[in-house]
Amino acid sequence: MKKIGLTTTVPVEVIFAAGMVPVDINNIFVAHPEKTKLVDAAELAGYPRNLCGWIKGLYSTILAEEEIKTLLAVTQGDCSNTHALMETLQLQGIEIIPFSYPFDRDREMLKLQIEKLIGALETSWEAALEQKKYLDKIRAKVHLLDQLTWQENIVTSEENHLYQVSCSDFWGEPEKFEQQIDQVLEEVKKRQPYQAEVRLGYIGVPPIITDFYSYIEELGARVVFNEVQRQFAMPFAVADLVEQYRMYTYPYDIFGRLEDIQREIAKRKVDGIIHYTQSFCFRQIEDLIIREKLQVPVLTVEGDRPGPMDARNKIRLESFIELFK
Amino acid sequence: MFCGMDLGSRQVKIALLENNQLKDSYFYDTITFYRQYGQKVEGKLKIDFAALGIGKVERIVTTGYGRNTLDIWGGQKIPELKAHTLGAVWQTGLADFTLLDLGGQDSKVIKVRRGKMVDFQTNDKCAASSGRYLENMVGVLGIDLEELSRHYEQPVDLNTTCAIFGESELIGRIIEGHSIGSLAAGVNYSIFHRIQPMLRSFPSEKIVFTGGVAKNQALAKIVEIEMDCEVIVPPYPQLNGALGCCQAAAMSLDKGGK
Repeated sequence: MKKIGLTTTVPVEVIFAAGMVPVDINNIFVAHPEKTKLVDAAELAGYPRNLCGWIKGLYSTILAEEEIKTLLAVTQGDCSNTHALMETLQLQGIEIIPFSYPFDRDREMLKLQIEKLIGALETSWEAALEQKKYLDKIRAKVHLLDQLTWQENIVTSEENHLYQVSCSDFWGEPEKFEQQIDQVLEEVKKRQPYQAEVRLGYIGVPPIITDFYSYIEELGARVVFNEVQRQFAMPFAVADLVEQYRMYTYPYDIFGRLEDIQREIAKRKVDGIIHYTQSFCFRQIEDLIIREKLQVPVLTVEGDRPGPMDARNKIRLESFIELFK
Repeated sequence: MFCGMDLGSRQVKIALLENNQLKDSYFYDTITFYRQYGQKVEGKLKIDFAALGIGKVERIVTTGYGRNTLDIWGGQKIPELKAHTLGAVWQTGLADFTLLDLGGQDSKVIKVRRGKMVDFQTNDKCAASSGRYLENMVGVLGIDLEELSRHYEQPVDLNTTCAIFGESELIGRIIEGHSIGSLAAGVNYSIFHRIQPMLRSFPSEKIVFTGGVAKNQALAKIVEIEMDCEVIVPPYPQLNGALGCCQAAAMSLDKGGK
């Protein structure tokens, strides 16, 4: 089956409906044994040093993955650097399919985008809706895992992150993914609840720092809310495909995201928020809105290249967690 | 007697506290300290206290940059910002203030209420608002840090974000013929501009200013004028973290620790 690369979460139902295999390039990159070299390779190709590590990693990962010749790239609603990523990959012979989330959440515009995608991949609404029903069943299991994280305290911060973030492509093999989720659900139910004193929320794009969650747990805290990862798992159960991607908060404005974040902070009894941004990312500007709107303490953590947490961020996290002890 | 050690990026600071009084203090260059007085024992750094001339201590508490990579043998570790908060509260007797600590590489702004840290911001990824920057700039100006700390009036504009490019910008200003006073004031103001957004996040009537850079009286004056508040530089600004460690040691004994 033909593989298609993704730069972020898209209506993945359409890809499965077309009989293709979605591959979220972010997940391949961050799990790659030589991820630092991938970033170096992009810099050698001419990507600036003062640019997001994710975008450089995506560039090199796509070129390294021989089976991926087509990239579905989100031009609005994700990263402001994607345009140049598309252009530089096009130069290397990769076929690009653009997808755009309308800034104002306009239903008709979004419907048109999905329609165009259906056309480009030569499938149909009916087939996509059928896939949605199937994937929603798996998503419901992931939602349960999330619930067991904050309500029962039997799921680790990292597991919560990993299985939700994987819902962007379901590992390209939804059946296998579902089996894994079933297994994890069985396993966690046998655990004793974790007793961490401090409950944190994580907002922003997933971390490029590889030991992020384990380090937080070492310090006696747990992440009981992973904002964007949870969004990748489509937490609002709606039957309509367009509505599902309209309610999905991540690609739209910060205020919609903040409503969701505030609701979850209250529901999950979150003590403090970690706002993660990449170095050189436009989302650093949004930090000021987040700090103004949220009532709980906020720590902004900046990541650049992939790898373990640096000493400075360790000091900052430690002091932040100390605030709640 | 309690021993507090602040393992900083540039200097190791040691404070000895007896009967709630500072008994003695020591300052070492970080690299020299590790090389001459440290020895790895069972994965931890054992400090040769005899060689340092420090007698028997009841309890050692450490903090600072080094504690993330090193465990001090026989020592208890506490987070850096906690140490600085405890130190500032002990030194000033104040309970509500904003703590500004400017060290060798770090800039920290901590909101303290009722004697406890309730929020903070620190620099990240860039050390252009630190002591190291000032050291570089006085080198370019051909003056010492003491002279630098006299000037805050009629500052020249220095806009470069990068501390290294800042040097060439300063050279450009020197060529333009500005007085040393204006140039020095410009350097001091450029530090202030970098920390200003952090200070504005936590408005307080009083700012306690610590760290090696707190010896720069001109900068303290600039903060006072620009933030329109009282700036208090405690008696031992550089020892603040180490003194906080001593406090943590004392408090831990109060709580019945061993």
